[in-house]
Amino acid sequence: MATTELCSEEALRFIWGGAIPLQIHLHESEVTTLPPPPPALILGPRIGYLPLLVPLLKPYFSSTLPPGVDTVWFDYKGLPLKWNIPTGVLFDLLCAEPERPWNLTVHFRGHPGETLIPCESEDNVKWSFINALKEAAYVINGNCKNVMNLSQADQFELWQSLMKGNVEAYQRIASRLKLGPIGEDCTLKTGAGQPRQALGEADTAGSSRVGRIPVRLYVRNIIQDLDDFDEATAVDSWDSISYINRPVEIHKHEGHLLTLRTALKALLPEIFDDETMPDNQIFSKEEGCQVTNPSFEDYETPNSLRNVETEEASIISDSVVLSKKPKVKLIRIQGIELDLSIPFFWVVNNLMNPDYFIHICVFTEASPSQVLVR
Amino acid sequence: MAAESPTSERKVVVHLRATGDAPILKQAKFKIAGSDKFLKVIEFLRRQLHRDTLFVYVNSAFSPSPDELVIDLYNNFGFDGKLVVNYACSMAWG
Repeated sequence: MATTELCSEEALRFIWGGAIPLQIHLHESEVTTLPPPPPALILGPRIGYLPLLVPLLKPYFSSTLPPGVDTVWFDYKGLPLKWNIPTGVLFDLLCAEPERPWNLTVHFRGHPGETLIPCESEDNVKWSFINALKEAAYVINGNCKNVMNLSQADQFELWQSLMKGNVEAYQRIASRLKLGPIGEDCTLKTGAGQPRQALGEADTAGSSRVGRIPVRLYVRNIIQDLDDFDEATAVDSWDSISYINRPVEIHKHEGHLLTLRTALKALLPEIFDDETMPDNQIFSKEEGCQVTNPSFEDYETPNSLRNVETEEASIISDSVVLSKKPKVKLIRIQGIELDLSIPFFWVVNNLMNPDYFIHICVFTEASPSQVLVR
Repeated sequence: MAAESPTSERKVVVHLRATGDAPILKQAKFKIAGSDKFLKVIEFLRRQLHRDTLFVYVNSAFSPSPDELVIDLYNNFGFDGKLVVNYACSMAWG
């Protein structure tokens, strides 16, 4: 298949053109004028980051701000928003039922340093983006030389293209990084059409591993029997979201069989299964608890689900013993609720963010009686 | 960075390596809980070196977000049973 057929131009334009309509309210403690300023109505690009909107918001609110030094931050229903997560991902994750416009509160003071890393300027966001890109390159190639070898001018152009939403300018530079696209067999295709072996420092399986795809997973559990998300309680703490940064590993000759389901199953085995679990199926403690070290069973953890890999030389962080498996309610990527049977290569080529990560929101559903925390 | 977490929680071995003219720590290898964030490593370095501005990298390659979990970084980028973290006082790998 020619390289151009693996990626949809249309999909790319949708991704880059996608934006969340935002209604941004200044926090009441920072309003010094009467009447208070109306909220700012602004479009937040899905692939962008909230701090990049500050140059537009600051002039809008500046006349009502109290004197002092600004460190801008946003919250949604009281939850401080992590600015290094793309705006679209924040929206997909935190608004179980999409809210249009999305009502956010902006603060110029009182930065909650304990829970949120401060973002002082656009440079912080650029640093975060370039490093995410390097991390993705490292996952794919085992090194990030391609990004490090970009000239200053090219790095600047790349960042500017993201800020301005200029997909052609972005493609001109990003294509030279040769981090994609991947073929139907999920292997990396260079311009010459030859698959490239991806080698990583942590490559313990040797020749059986062909490639790694950078993925960032955000798992949110809705503890209610809900038919629709309107009634889901808002996230009040980042502790209730499981953030997992783990690549999908493509094994030799299996790439063409990979669907979104099989890829996610490899990352979150305790949630995904070959069939939807019937409600009355009970798992024994041994089946539900994937640990190799018995001492983990005593560890107490909040409502978070961690991936456990028993084959690779990795460390288990913590485990949750479940009497019944939580069901996957839905998967959201770029605001789209995906059918799990979609070929994974298509998801990677067409739904990734400019940092070459696939950001995946996973909503699970478990009623309070189902989840036992040990 | 001594362990204060329950004994049942696994630790990740972090090897801190100085880059450029950054001071070398007397003790360079530590164990940290896998569930801790990379921020903890950064803050530890800031305290030990009495410097607020530090550039901290993994495998001399990239700077992870302080929000990243040490366990994920180890699983993805660790080798030989440890996670190599490089620190510099000025930008080493821009």
